[in-house]
Amino acid sequence: MNLGKIKKALLSKQMVIAYWVLGLVVIWEILAVIIEHTKRTPENVLPHLHQIAQSIFSKDLVNMDQTALQIVLSNTGITLQRAGIGFLIGIAVGYLLALIMNMFSWAEKVVFPYLMIIQMIPILGMAPIVLAMTKDINKSRIVIAALLTFYPVATNTLAGFKSVMKEKHELMYSMAAKKSDVYKKLLIPASMPYFFTGLKISAPMAITASILVDTLQGGGGLGCMLSQSLKHAMTIYVFWQIVFLSAIIGIASYYLMSVIEKLISPYKKVGR
Amino acid sequence: MEIEKLQDRTNVEKLTTVLYPVLFGIFIAVLWQTQILHKILGTDTFTLPLPGRIISIIGDNHATILKNVGATLIVALGGLTAGSLFGYLLGIISTAFPKWGAGGLTVVSAFNAVPIIAIAPILNNLTKDFSKDANTRSMLAKMLVVMITCTVAMSINAYRGLTELKPFSLDLMQSFAASKLEIFFKLRVPNSVPYIFTALRVSVPACVISALVSEYFAEYIIGVGRQIRENIVLAQYATAWAYIFVACAIGIIMYLILLTLEGILLKGRR
Repeated sequence: MNLGKIKKALLSKQMVIAYWVLGLVVIWEILAVIIEHTKRTPENVLPHLHQIAQSIFSKDLVNMDQTALQIVLSNTGITLQRAGIGFLIGIAVGYLLALIMNMFSWAEKVVFPYLMIIQMIPILGMAPIVLAMTKDINKSRIVIAALLTFYPVATNTLAGFKSVMKEKHELMYSMAAKKSDVYKKLLIPASMPYFFTGLKISAPMAITASILVDTLQGGGGLGCMLSQSLKHAMTIYVFWQIVFLSAIIGIASYYLMSVIEKLISPYKKVGR
Repeated sequence: MEIEKLQDRTNVEKLTTVLYPVLFGIFIAVLWQTQILHKILGTDTFTLPLPGRIISIIGDNHATILKNVGATLIVALGGLTAGSLFGYLLGIISTAFPKWGAGGLTVVSAFNAVPIIAIAPILNNLTKDFSKDANTRSMLAKMLVVMITCTVAMSINAYRGLTELKPFSLDLMQSFAASKLEIFFKLRVPNSVPYIFTALRVSVPACVISALVSEYFAEYIIGVGRQIRENIVLAQYATAWAYIFVACAIGIIMYLILLTLEGILLKGRR
């Protein structure tokens, strides 16, 4: 009986995921061992995971006054701040655009085809030219992050507005609801799940964009440190720490959106 | 009479659906050409050249541009194909072993949130020994980056397409004593076709973007994305804009091809 329980716990969903992660770690280590014996500088190609972990806790100074971890963390702050500002601006613009498109059909006709086209345009590829136009790395980070955020938010929110059933509109109409009430009580709550889908798409994108823009010019930020470390201006382990940290930040930003959604959305509260 | 009026109205609707965006496009183009756009954005014709000049540059340099377009297309399409096939394979494996597969797909989908920028340099280093030729080995590295981004979308959608069957269709097949293989080929695979296109709608634009970004970090200097960057470093903004135009065109044309294919293959299924 007890054994059965243990077996069940060992095969639960979380454990399956844990086994997969373990499997990936094993593959990484096997590759690392092979590379250790074949390459002259294995830490540039694929170091052991424990070496990366060691570098996180090491107290050796990498530059004038910071350890590897201090450099990485302080630059993460810079990058996240810019990505965050751009992200918020993008959300505001995207939501406003969705509202306008839903209110005025001419606006939808004008903008919607361009919203479709902008999805196919590689905006990240335009990062250097945005930098040239704004002439300021901070501004261009914000602009690119905002650009990448606004269209998933706009299209998904608009889809949310459109998803409301006709009967509900008719009910509001029959109750002589004002337009502002229709939005407040029907359309905006109904669009929330779609709005958050948009946020979950764009949050990792905003961070990717911010790191990419960092690599274009000096001035701090994760991407800047990443390229410096690759050019061996400082220890290569800064690079490996950034790789893992940016992966964690990307995934965390996705989950953060889910958490916020659960906190503020009425449709997921208990009892419904 | 009434019907005619209604017909008229739908005709007007259709006309404005096309007319409004076109007018808007022309409006922007006019603003751009008359340099009012430059005043709004606070730039000059040096960093944001006029459309006519960009197009003439594309015309003048079409041989070089085509060579770079070719390099980018090989990376994007090669990565897209490899990633989609691998993703579908992962979907099949997950369908065969649902317990292990679902967890595995959760791990795979986590890769979606990993910035391309972190992956590209690693693969660059890993593929150093693959070939003596810098072009070949950096081509492989770039393709692997694109492949990773495309695998994720396809594996998740393929799994859904192979498992989210119409109600009772699985029971029906079993009542016919269909073997697992028959169920797979006659029920699951056809069921997954629309899902394949859902995945491609994500991964076609994504493959172009990741191809461009991976070129930034590649060893060998070739490709549309790299040319955008190189030309900006040299302060040749007009040429950079020409490559941006080309990059947008690649993205849009590939998406249109996908939509056409989808229209033909899924006719009457949606």
